[in-house]
Amino acid sequence: MIMHIDAFQALADPTRRLVLEALRHGERQVGDIVEQAGIHQSGVSRHLRILHEAGFVSKRPDGQRRLYSLRAEPFRELDDWLAKYRSLWEARLDRFGAALETQRKDRRTPRKEKRT
Amino acid sequence: MNDRSKSAGATRPKVVVERTYRARVEELWELWTTKQGFESWWGPEGFRVEVHTLEARVGGALHYDMIADAPEQIAAMQRMGRPTSHETRGRFAEISPHTRLAITHVIDFVPAVGPYESTMVVEFFPSGESVRMVVTLDPMHDEEFTRMSTMGFASQLTKLDRRFGG
Repeated sequence: MIMHIDAFQALADPTRRLVLEALRHGERQVGDIVEQAGIHQSGVSRHLRILHEAGFVSKRPDGQRRLYSLRAEPFRELDDWLAKYRSLWEARLDRFGAALETQRKDRRTPRKEKRT
Repeated sequence: MNDRSKSAGATRPKVVVERTYRARVEELWELWTTKQGFESWWGPEGFRVEVHTLEARVGGALHYDMIADAPEQIAAMQRMGRPTSHETRGRFAEISPHTRLAITHVIDFVPAVGPYESTMVVEFFPSGESVRMVVTLDPMHDEEFTRMSTMGFASQLTKLDRRFGG
């Protein structure tokens, strides 16, 4: 479960989101990401390392170059996690609605102000 | 990385849930800002809350116990060796009557992570005979969900999974 929190921490940084955005269209090397995201190379390298450690990015050597690409798994896990979180809150809003109804019934005294 | 995320408040991913209720905005407001109202709905499935303090003013305290009360939740907590009641503290960070409120919870129970705060914002948009209520949440730092996640049983609390739990 802690893993999910780490995933959010990885995504909490706007620069890392830019790096991920740059990888959305396929494999890139550091130089491409620097150009596309408009961030200094040392920053890109550092964020790529963090994203790699968090499982968002994979890298493979290609001669002298290193190519980076997105991994789908953590995004799927985040989706699942968010879906659970959302359904928890949807259920809560159901209960909120039920509580409103109960509150109304408890007070069902003839009141004119209900009409709008 | 923990420190980074704590300072990245404005950029954290948010989740927005909303619902439109056929009621007056005063009625919705009461469910957030009175002891009786809050107790009537707050808390995940299978839990109830007992409010000790609820001061609906800016900076006012919100202090309650979240108590497992469905048999399966009580059993689940006992299986995990967890207490069936949790003390929870927060405060009202914003109050604009019938328009907007914000509640900040203190998260002090995540293993190996120091205390931090999580804020949810609730907005009310009356229209004719109904009110749209919009809740903006901080899923990573949400008090209850984080608690459930650290316990490893968040999924048991969702409606979707309830049918499997009997």
